[in-house]
Amino acid sequence: MAIRVNPSFIDDLSRYGAEDVQLCYQCGDCSTICSHADDIYKFPRKSMRQLQMGLEQRIETTLEPWLCYYCGQCSEQCPREADPGESMMSLRRWLISKYDFTGIARQFFKSKTSEILAVILIALVTGIFLMFYGISGGSIHIYDGEGAFLPSQFIHKFDLTIGSIMAIFLLINSIRMWYFTMIKGVLIPVPWWLYLKELYELPLHFFTQKRYAECESNGKQHLHMPWLIHLGLMLGYVTMLLLVLVFVEPLQAGPEIRWSVHIFAYMATIGLLSGTIYFIRNRFKKNYTQYKKSHSTDWVFVVLLFFIVLTGIFQHVFHRTGLYEWANITYVIHLMAVVPWLLRMPFSKWAHLAYRPLAMYFAAIQKAAYERQELLVDSVSITIK
Amino acid sequence: METKNNLKIGVYVCNCGTNIAKIVDAVAVAEYAQTLPNVVLAKTYKYMCSNPGQEMIAQDIKENELDRVVVAACSPNMHERTFRAALRMAGLNQYLLEMANIREQCSWVHKDRREATKKAMALVHAAVLRVEKHEALESMAVDMSPNVLVIGGGIAGMTAALELADAGYFVHLVEKNNQLGGNIARIDLTAPYFYSARDLLTERISRTKSHKRIKVHLDSKVTDLSGFVGNFKANIYNLNGVPENEKEVEVQIGNVAICTGYQEFDASRITHFGYGKMPNVITSFELEKMLRAGKVETKEGKIPKYIAIIHCVGSRNKEFHTYCSRVCCMTALKYAHEIKSANPECYVSDVYIDMHAFGKGHEDFYRQSSQAKTLFLMYDKEHRPVIHKAGSKDDCEMIIEVHERLSGEHIEIPADMVVLMVGMEARDDAHEVAHLTNISQDKDGWFIESHPKLEPVATTTDGIFIAGTCVAPKDIPDTVAQARAAAARILARISRGKIEVDAVYSEVNVDLCSGCRFCNDLCPYNAIEFKEEEGLSHVISVLCKACGVCVASCPSSAIKGRHFTDHQVLAQIDGLFNNVDYELDEPVK
Repeated sequence: MAIRVNPSFIDDLSRYGAEDVQLCYQCGDCSTICSHADDIYKFPRKSMRQLQMGLEQRIETTLEPWLCYYCGQCSEQCPREADPGESMMSLRRWLISKYDFTGIARQFFKSKTSEILAVILIALVTGIFLMFYGISGGSIHIYDGEGAFLPSQFIHKFDLTIGSIMAIFLLINSIRMWYFTMIKGVLIPVPWWLYLKELYELPLHFFTQKRYAECESNGKQHLHMPWLIHLGLMLGYVTMLLLVLVFVEPLQAGPEIRWSVHIFAYMATIGLLSGTIYFIRNRFKKNYTQYKKSHSTDWVFVVLLFFIVLTGIFQHVFHRTGLYEWANITYVIHLMAVVPWLLRMPFSKWAHLAYRPLAMYFAAIQKAAYERQELLVDSVSITIK
Repeated sequence: METKNNLKIGVYVCNCGTNIAKIVDAVAVAEYAQTLPNVVLAKTYKYMCSNPGQEMIAQDIKENELDRVVVAACSPNMHERTFRAALRMAGLNQYLLEMANIREQCSWVHKDRREATKKAMALVHAAVLRVEKHEALESMAVDMSPNVLVIGGGIAGMTAALELADAGYFVHLVEKNNQLGGNIARIDLTAPYFYSARDLLTERISRTKSHKRIKVHLDSKVTDLSGFVGNFKANIYNLNGVPENEKEVEVQIGNVAICTGYQEFDASRITHFGYGKMPNVITSFELEKMLRAGKVETKEGKIPKYIAIIHCVGSRNKEFHTYCSRVCCMTALKYAHEIKSANPECYVSDVYIDMHAFGKGHEDFYRQSSQAKTLFLMYDKEHRPVIHKAGSKDDCEMIIEVHERLSGEHIEIPADMVVLMVGMEARDDAHEVAHLTNISQDKDGWFIESHPKLEPVATTTDGIFIAGTCVAPKDIPDTVAQARAAAARILARISRGKIEVDAVYSEVNVDLCSGCRFCNDLCPYNAIEFKEEEGLSHVISVLCKACGVCVASCPSSAIKGRHFTDHQVLAQIDGLFNNVDYELDEPVK
């Protein structure tokens, strides 16, 4: 069955950051240097070709973009300066919007104005709502306990509500990802038990990001720096998310420090702070290939997160130093950033937290399925649709 | 004729490095030659054609007063000129040389050392007996008419004509159409620098037309060409518009430059492209027409959203032409640029086999086209794209189906307009020109150069030169370079005033000729004319290539091939049949 070429796709993708794709003449240098490309997942070369030709039906079913951690070596190597690394990045952005059934992600990626406006709008609504709630039910002079401006029980429910909304969207989108990549994208039968057999891949990749480390292993300088920082940022983020969703009451109680929870919060903060500063700095300095081109969504991602971390720290410090009014105001500002951040999650770069380990998991299943079919014997006959 | 007994013959056996010596025992051959009558010395040398080798021969001629020389080495095609020069250097007539080919016809084709050596000895023996019969011959010189005939009024013809006329010589420029300019007049911009073709031509045309030493014959063709280098007569026939008595003019010329150009491949020959059936499948020249008019639109008057350009139409395919037409790749990239700049909303797909970007600035141009977001889709030489009408739901007029090689996918390309990059082919009437001027065409109809590397604008007929796309597909710079090269070659000949002709040619013995005219028609070089008043055939020696056809065909044995007389050939045969006793020093395996 013939597949339709879409020459206009390239213009569509340029909004997601892929600018120089058409320079590629398919020499394959990028795939040669890539430590993750193999017989089955021939990226970036193959992905570049699909992108050039606008084979949307193929791209939406591929896992390749998620298997790339963007070390940037392919772009440095490329004789045509076609920037395959950035193209893979833009494909990830495109896939996020493809998995998202609401179309919000697509809107955010294609228009930075709409994303920023949405963030501001949600922040304002949140701010007004919290101020109204605080003034009507509590006192600005009290931070925790009886008569608090924003009582922790309320915040707990509030967080859970926002978190659930986010989780539902993310779950639906993840199911869509599974449908695209594992149902539409695999033409051979995949037995159900392979899903169990390869299940360990999911936490393995989630918690270690070991492929990112492998990515850097043949790099030149700062060997494990991006990997380590990225891992710290991610673990810090996940820890903080858990604390906020489950342990917000002990976290908010004071003024004494409850080491059993706070120790985790402090460590998470270190990870978050160093991570966001590191990535903001790199994006400013453009010192590595992967930071040379920053999409508007990348900036919103790091800057907003940095702002959340900063306001979180201030609020904590004000609380412990007895500046309750300041603590309450900072808390409102903090939540004004947190809510749009959380609601934005399934529609943004953030979603790669879920999609990447899922992709590793799915790829392992696919490979096992192909092995099972003994198709790997003759790698030429393998075509991944 | 009796063998002269007082001759002094020198025999030189070349080792040709190991080319000869590896199989042929050169020393034994020289020793054998020494035993032959009249041979006063026989030597071997590593490379006889080298300067020391030639000097050795020249010195021997002087010191030993040699009057005949045999060189046993390679084919005379390779080095006869070299050794003739050595003879001249020593003051000996150059025709008193004979070469024995013991390389191409001996060492290269044999494996048995003993047999090969024996054969070499026989060949040397034959050469010795032959050279005894050689006569001292003198080359001739004929007058050279300074006028030139240029056939074809395209960029090549005009350039050659202007070059010659500027140098002070008179040129007849014959163009079949009613205007000058040729195929370039049909195009808009040129690749890769976007010079306007019109600008390139305007200056050439106006100068050609107004040049006082160029006579432009429009609507005309050359109907007859007779004579020989330096002394041609051409009939120029006007195809329309003039009174009957002025229709044909005869001009005297010394040289001819053929610049007849190419014709485009007829796209309707490839049926599954649907050219001629589908209105928006057009050729590259039809697109040029649109570009010159400044409006690229479909037959229905719509601005196309998708334009697909198919490369190698009629080229690089066993069915039509196996060669590459050389200019289409860059022309196609030029279209992508022109279309994109005229209509940025339009998407251009380039459906190609390989991108041939070999020339100056071409690779950069290819890169620029990629930057302009041209979609390059690679198809297989053996599986041509198929064009059919799109369905009612599609946002395009046509669909091109093709197997795309870089992705391995069977794809459909949307298109509102399909441009077929038609290749160049030899003109249908090229054979008329070839026949008229007595030059050859290759299997594809292109005129053949006398040497593809070293004589790219000369032909095997003296005084006839070829330039531009009548020789092979090429771009404008190469065409112009060839036109100027042909002009330079002609100028070099004109400036000498006379032309030297090889002394090896046929002669008619007027006492024996019966005037049967057999030879007249057989001569492949039109070198024999019949003198009506005398009733005899006559060989025009400057045209004769000494092929010997007339000699063999003459029922009265009235024709003698100089330097290939019966005596000489028979003596050579005698030498070949001499039995040679030779045993190898080492036992034969």
